[in-house]
Order: sequence, then structure tokens, then C-alpha cells
Amino acid sequence: MAEQSINIPQVIVFAVVAFLVYRWYSSKPSANGTRPAANRSVRINPAQIDTIAQMFPQLNRRDIAWDLQRNGGNAAATTERVLSGRSLDSAPASFQLPATSTAAAPIRPVAAVAKPSHPDLITRYNLSSKLSQTPEPTEEKPRAKAWSADRNERQSNLQRKREEMILAARRKMEEKEKASASGAVA
Amino acid sequence: MSNPAAKRLFKEYKSLSSDPPEGITAGPVTEDDMFLWEALIQGPEGTPFEGGVFPAELKFPKDYPLAPPKMKFLTDMWHPNVYNNGEVCISILHPPGDDPHQYEQASERWSPIQSVEKILISVMSMLAEPNDESPANIDAAKMWRNKREEYEKVVRQNVRKSLGL
Repeated sequence: MAEQSINIPQVIVFAVVAFLVYRWYSSKPSANGTRPAANRSVRINPAQIDTIAQMFPQLNRRDIAWDLQRNGGNAAATTERVLSGRSLDSAPASFQLPATSTAAAPIRPVAAVAKPSHPDLITRYNLSSKLSQTPEPTEEKPRAKAWSADRNERQSNLQRKREEMILAARRKMEEKEKASASGAVA
Repeated sequence: MSNPAAKRLFKEYKSLSSDPPEGITAGPVTEDDMFLWEALIQGPEGTPFEGGVFPAELKFPKDYPLAPPKMKFLTDMWHPNVYNNGEVCISILHPPGDDPHQYEQASERWSPIQSVEKILISVMSMLAEPNDESPANIDAAKMWRNKREEYEKVVRQNVRKSLGL
């Protein structure tokens, strides 16, 4: 009787230990094999499929999902591929489309009510010193190359274009006001 | 520049600089950060915005061109489709599917085949023709609809003020 009551816990302990040992051994050899297996079954976000399907309604959802599956869920790569004119490979029959989620429409954040006051353009672009300068005749000036290979030159070209645009607008507005003022007097 | 989004933005910057549309100047604030641009848009002629130059910033998401940029005017804008904080609300800046009210056609909304240039041109024509179906600034929309003269006066005042006059 006493022997038997000791035996049952022993059997249970043995069973648990045996199970753990079995698990340890069985998981060990597959440790190397799990990587490619995990890669093959990348979880594709159904929202990504939706996004791409909305951009390219002519595409088959299965093909989109298949392409995403193979590039590791990179939606940008799939889009690039479609845009560059290469068609997507069709998904093999064995391929399972992930379940579509009924994603709630994102709520657009409500714009802040606070109204910041903006400085005028002359202040913003620090142009007050250039206001008094007479405008150079734009026709004769050798037109700067629109696109320069030099990064700093590009930056200063853009800067100059901005300044020219603002100064031209300011002068035009001043002239218009002068004209309408003198027109009112005459 | 290995980032595809930055690469695409650089390509757009190049084409916008080489062949800029009339009345538009745009480019990154500095090339160190291709995801923040500043644009200048001229007010379209024959509208109260005529004669004005309107600065705006464009903030691009890291997954551009999958998602659209956000555009915000850096000057006081009184317009039905511009929020009080300057943020522009037009269909081309909305990702497809992000339209619970179904006001907009999917073809009008953002997709990777759109571009910065198309956004800026759309915004320019938005200045000329506000869309008061889904206004961002309800007061401006009401004024535009019911008291057009007053609306135009406010706009002209803002234009003068922004030019430092």
C-alpha cells in the first residue's frame, strides 16, 4: 500500500522529465531549420495589401500578397516594381491569402485652433536690405543653370530663386499701389 | 541617399528645379533632410490672391510616395480649404481609403503616381477655386459663399501684409 502511494508521484515526475527531455531533443535539431521556415511564412499585414490594391485596382490581391510575402512585407518594393512596369508573378495555387482585417478608418486629427501669427515674407527671408536695391535687369543676367551638380550651388540657386520671387512680388505690389494712388489723385 | 523615399524626393527636386512650373519654387530646406521642403506659390491671376507669394512647408513621411506629404502654409491664409493653423486640406493630400464621407473620387486622391509638382499645381488652382463641400475653415467658407466681397478684402489684406506693406 505504502509502496504504491509513493509510486504514483514518481510516475508523474518521470513522465514530466521524460516529456521535457523529449522536447529538448526534438527542438534541438530543428533550431537550424526554423529560420528559412519563418522567412517563408512572413506575416503580411492585410492593410498593406489593401493599400496597394487601392493604388492599383487592376492587380489581383493574391498576386500582391504573394509578392509581399516574398519580399518580406516590403510594400514600397512591390509598388516600385509595379510602377517600373514589371508585372507581379502570379501566386501559386497553394498560396493562402491572409485574412483581411476590417480596419477602422483612421480618424483625422482635429486641427489645432490656436492661430500663430506669421512674420511677413520680407522679415522671414531677411530681405529688408535688398528691398532698396534696384532690380537688376533679369533678361540680360546670364541665367544660372537650373540644376547644378554642386550641392551648395543648388542650395544657393534655390535660395536666390525664392528671394527673386518675393522681391518681384513686393515691387509689383508697390507699383500697383502707387499707380492706383496717383490715379485717385489725378 | 540609399533610402528609396529620399531618392525619389531627390529626383522630384531635380525635375522641379530643371523645369519649374510657372509661379512655383520648391525644394528641401536643406539637402541634409530631404523630408522637409519649403515651397513658394504665386497667387493665381484674376483672383484676390493675385500678386501674393505664399510660403508653405511640405513634410514627407518616411514611406513616401506610398503616403502623401502634409502641407502647411507659413502665412495667414483665409481660404475655405486651409485650416487656421495653415494646414491644407485637399483631396490630392489624402491617402486613398481615408475618406469616410465619400466626397472625393479615388482618382483625385494621393497615389504614388502623383508628385510634389502635381500637389503644388493643385494647391494653386485651389486658391483660385475653393471647394466648399468639405471646408477646413468653415468661417472662410461661409464668407466665400455669402459675402464674396468681404472674403476678397480679407485675402487682399493678407497678401499686402505678407509682403510687408
